[in-house]
Amino acid sequence: MSTKIDLSLSRPNRIYRPSEPLEGKILVKSASSISHYGIRMAINGSVNLQVRGGSAGVIESFYGVVKPITILSRTLEIRPSGKIVSGTTEIPFSITLRNPKEDNSERFYETFHGTNISIQYLATVDIMRGYLHKSLSATVEFIVESDKADLLNPPISPEMVIFYITQDTQRHPILPELKSGGFRITGRISTQCSMLEPLSGELTVEASVLPICSIDIHLLRVESVLLGEKIITETSLIQTTQIADGDVCRNMTLPIYVVLPRLLTCPTVLAGPFSIEFKVAIVIFFQSELSRLHPKSDPLTPRLWMAMETLPLELVRARPYASWTVES
Amino acid sequence: MEFRPRNYVAEEQSHSLPRSRADIHPFSSSSPQSILRQVDDNEENRNNEEFFDPLRAPDSKASVEPVDGHDFESSSNGNDDSFPVQTKEWTSFKRFLMQRFPVSKMISVSSMSNTIVRSGKAHEKSSSSTHLEELDDPQKFSETDTKVITQQEYVSRLHELKDEINRAWHSEDRVKSLKLSIKVARLLMDTSVSNFYPTLFVLVTDVLNMLGDMVWERIRQKAEFADDGARLCSLRAENFRASDVPIDAKETCYNWFCKVGSIRELLPRIYLELAIFPCWRFLIEQPAESLQRLVMMTRGIGDPLASAYCRLYIAHHAQKLPSHDTGYLITCLNDITLIFTRISSTKESAHGCFADSKRSLISLMEPSVEFIMKCILNDASQRRAGKVLVELGLGRSQEELFGGSLCVSIVLHHLLKELPIDIVSFHAVDILHLIKCSNDNSYDQCLNYRLVGLRLSEQISQIGSVEAVVNEVIQVVSEYGLDEYLKVVDAYLDIVLQNQMDGHLKTILEGISKLASDKVLAEDELASLQSILVKLLSHFKDLEHVFSLNHFLQILDMMHGNSRGIVNMHILDMATRNGYVHDPTTIQLLFEISQALNSDTDLVNMKNDDNQQQARLISRFVRMVDHGVEYERHLAFLMECRGALGSIIELKEILVHSSNCLATKALKDGKKHTAFVKTCIAFSEITIPSIPGHIKQLNLYLGTAEVALLGGLVSHSDGLIDSAINCLQSSDWMEGSRTLDSDGMLSSIRKLCSLLVMVPGNPEVGILHIPKSILLIIHSRSWSPRLKARILFAIISLSATLSQERLPYHADHPEIMGNDLLFFGDSSYVRELLSLTESVLQNLVDVIEQEPSRAARGSLSLEACNCIASSFKINEHVLSVCSKLIETAKLCLNAKDKYLTSTISFLYKNLSAATVSSSIAI
Repeated sequence: MSTKIDLSLSRPNRIYRPSEPLEGKILVKSASSISHYGIRMAINGSVNLQVRGGSAGVIESFYGVVKPITILSRTLEIRPSGKIVSGTTEIPFSITLRNPKEDNSERFYETFHGTNISIQYLATVDIMRGYLHKSLSATVEFIVESDKADLLNPPISPEMVIFYITQDTQRHPILPELKSGGFRITGRISTQCSMLEPLSGELTVEASVLPICSIDIHLLRVESVLLGEKIITETSLIQTTQIADGDVCRNMTLPIYVVLPRLLTCPTVLAGPFSIEFKVAIVIFFQSELSRLHPKSDPLTPRLWMAMETLPLELVRARPYASWTVES
Repeated sequence: MEFRPRNYVAEEQSHSLPRSRADIHPFSSSSPQSILRQVDDNEENRNNEEFFDPLRAPDSKASVEPVDGHDFESSSNGNDDSFPVQTKEWTSFKRFLMQRFPVSKMISVSSMSNTIVRSGKAHEKSSSSTHLEELDDPQKFSETDTKVITQQEYVSRLHELKDEINRAWHSEDRVKSLKLSIKVARLLMDTSVSNFYPTLFVLVTDVLNMLGDMVWERIRQKAEFADDGARLCSLRAENFRASDVPIDAKETCYNWFCKVGSIRELLPRIYLELAIFPCWRFLIEQPAESLQRLVMMTRGIGDPLASAYCRLYIAHHAQKLPSHDTGYLITCLNDITLIFTRISSTKESAHGCFADSKRSLISLMEPSVEFIMKCILNDASQRRAGKVLVELGLGRSQEELFGGSLCVSIVLHHLLKELPIDIVSFHAVDILHLIKCSNDNSYDQCLNYRLVGLRLSEQISQIGSVEAVVNEVIQVVSEYGLDEYLKVVDAYLDIVLQNQMDGHLKTILEGISKLASDKVLAEDELASLQSILVKLLSHFKDLEHVFSLNHFLQILDMMHGNSRGIVNMHILDMATRNGYVHDPTTIQLLFEISQALNSDTDLVNMKNDDNQQQARLISRFVRMVDHGVEYERHLAFLMECRGALGSIIELKEILVHSSNCLATKALKDGKKHTAFVKTCIAFSEITIPSIPGHIKQLNLYLGTAEVALLGGLVSHSDGLIDSAINCLQSSDWMEGSRTLDSDGMLSSIRKLCSLLVMVPGNPEVGILHIPKSILLIIHSRSWSPRLKARILFAIISLSATLSQERLPYHADHPEIMGNDLLFFGDSSYVRELLSLTESVLQNLVDVIEQEPSRAARGSLSLEACNCIASSFKINEHVLSVCSKLIETAKLCLNAKDKYLTSTISFLYKNLSAATVSSSIAI
């Protein structure tokens, strides 16, 4: 006998706001009728924290997993005990995420999947069938985005900072010919950015003694976890976007345009037990014979033939202004 | 048996139709109305067998042929359908790209392109040796880490990838197709085999366009139909708005752009976004803004070649947008210009071949400039083109279109090519000045001067200041070497000629002769020179005028080879187009030209079509030569021709005809020219045997014999007729391999027979010597019964005619007597004729019986019957032959056949007349 249970949400992109009801259908496909003791729906949201051995000490690594922080945990009975007829049965449901009777301070962090921190919301359906049968269940992840009420109003205009990168701004040793010959790369880039807009800016190579090999924009996440008395911080690479490939013309303005990846980014969070922040790094690779000796180096390790500038980046959930975005 | 007496004069009068005056010549061009009607008729009667002129009637079948834009992009559908013209243009552009840069067989592939190189496909070095090298010198290892595969393998691997992407897509694995497409796009990052790059570009963009179409189609489906298949909305109309698109479809679409946006490398990211670029229309109302960003992003591609082709791909997609904003394309062009400036300003490095590689790089980038320029100025109005010029920094304002900065010459070239002609005409002087100032090495300066000349020639009457333009050009070219000089001058020649700038023309010709003297002309120079001389020839109506131009003949003499031949042919064509050639100097010149043309021809294969044209032109020239009353001189000319141009068979025929014609003219002059006529005939007689083809010879002999007869030269004509008979005798076994031209043969023999009516019989060899020879020939040959029978008819008719007391026609010479006078009342003469015809008659029935085809046999019998009935008086013998023939005809033909019934009635009419006369005789 095969009985299949499926959970299907009303929105294909599975994005819901805390003030909105989570809607969908429970689909049961069965060859014969099933009696049950009730259909229950559980919605859970939690911040899962962990500290990896790499950045923490040896002792902390024993306590690698920090107790998760619960955001939301609720169980509802969709149907009382009864019978499901054979064939395909659709059971619709609608659950409010934020309980209006409860304290409004309950914080719905946006969904985020990082290295050490992951914020996840799950909906699980269970069909209880007593001790003789295994209960049937299905789980689906849904994505939470901040409430419209929480949005900054009016929409932010991107805040730009001007940067310039020369041989003198480098904190790591660089090639002697770079040090003496010099280079100058200037530009501006937004340090506050709406989640729905690309990270934008522009960059100009004004001068460079060595030909340029590549210019990359690294999007970095900085995850901090409070572990006892210590804050463990780890910076890791989310995405690299090349904006120059080869020795580009001097004094020609290149656009910086980075589409933020979904799920891997979220609005900057500074909570007590943890924080999620972002940075953007502009990395210039110069053409050098030396670089060929290290073909596969970690992109974040400073090298002699590299110049870089790292800037903080605040991501915010702002009211979108592109016309295409979802209107609720 | 008895011949029927005939009264030819009375017969002609009774049989000829009454004549009436016609108002319109039947061959004169008909009025437009009637043409129109004819066209209408054709439309209606398309399926009828009626003749219609394919050139005059509009062929509806050809014009309605559907535009096939799918021959290359078989999978292209959806949005491309609405832009069939652009698709076609793109297809032909792609073909042009592949053809312009052919690829060597082997391609080295850097290790990066491991998409292409799969295990076993490449000639990999053994792993141990690479290991050793790696240990030895790691740097060397990384440099030599390339694999060599054939172009064929590369291309077929790309096709495999395309199929794989297609398969993955249709098995719902869209992520895999995207990943593979990214891999394919990544191939364009490798410009190491630069000559292969255009081909690679075409192949890769094919794949990307396919992906783009599939994505478009999927999102459109999602927008138009809900999951359960219900129709949500219709986006069929090409002008749908982003706000019409349902949110789910937008979500999917946005996802695609997110996926593409997360590609690490710049170049594949740009290409992939371009591939799905039309999909921006689902999201935003003004997708052109994104294009501007892509143009800016392309600046990040450092490799000049890769960035040029990336811009080409941008222009390709920009064309699909409905808006006509060309701002982003102008940015593209300005960026490319910057790159060109950078390339040309790079210092010459130690490499010797640096300039060469620069040139080849520029020529590889050229198609991009060309295409973008075309997109920008495609059907641009004068005002918009002016705006473009200002935006390109060339012009300061609409009034001063060329006063701004300089222009890289290769960009200038393609700009001039596409600019509206009015702008070029109006600003010609400024443009020339601009060309003068932009003398970088990206493009040959003289070609820009040439281009302006060619553009100006499109609309010569509209040029603003012709004098200034030509002065400037003449000044510029005065510093050039021959090749450049010719190239530029060639382009301006039409302008000079049409404005009657004789002074400049003189300068130009002088310049050419000065530069070209004592020089062996190269192929390019010859081609330009050819074009110049042909332009001169076609401009002037009068050949003598051209010859009298200073240096013309001198320049002509410097030319050689094929170009010279072509110019010579033009001269000959021109000389003979306007009637007869009289001037002796011109004749001499043309003769020399013909000689030169002929000696060139001798070197190559005679069967060539080109050579046939030359032969035809030379022959026409010889035919058109006219020395007036100087007959001797004309004959001398013909002899000279035979000596010098004897290898042209066609010409020799003309020579015979001309000499015969000359003799006739001399005879008609009335004076005593017998000696001259004899010379002419001798000339013909000697010339004929060298012409191959016995029927041709036969006809020429007969023609000459006729002329001899006209001149009263009986012995000559007898000799010529004998030669003709000899031709006939040797004809069959000489030409036996080919199928015999029986119609030609028959008409020649009939002509011979009709000539024989005039020729006085020679009793020494027998008066019927010639018809008898013909009969002998007939018997010894295996000709078709049809031919044989018809020749026999001719001989019967000849005999019947010769038996008459008064012949139907005579030789137009007082001293020649016809047989009617020579043998008047000579019964033995008539007897001889009768005995000949009797033997012929006996043969005839047998020959007809041999004819295999029933229908032919029937009509031959009837023809025989008619021939006999009109040649003889009807008596029993004749009647028995005739009735036998009628029986045969009845067996073979339908009883109601018109020919049969009319022949029978004709026979009865004659029969009744005969019985009446015979009854009187009895």
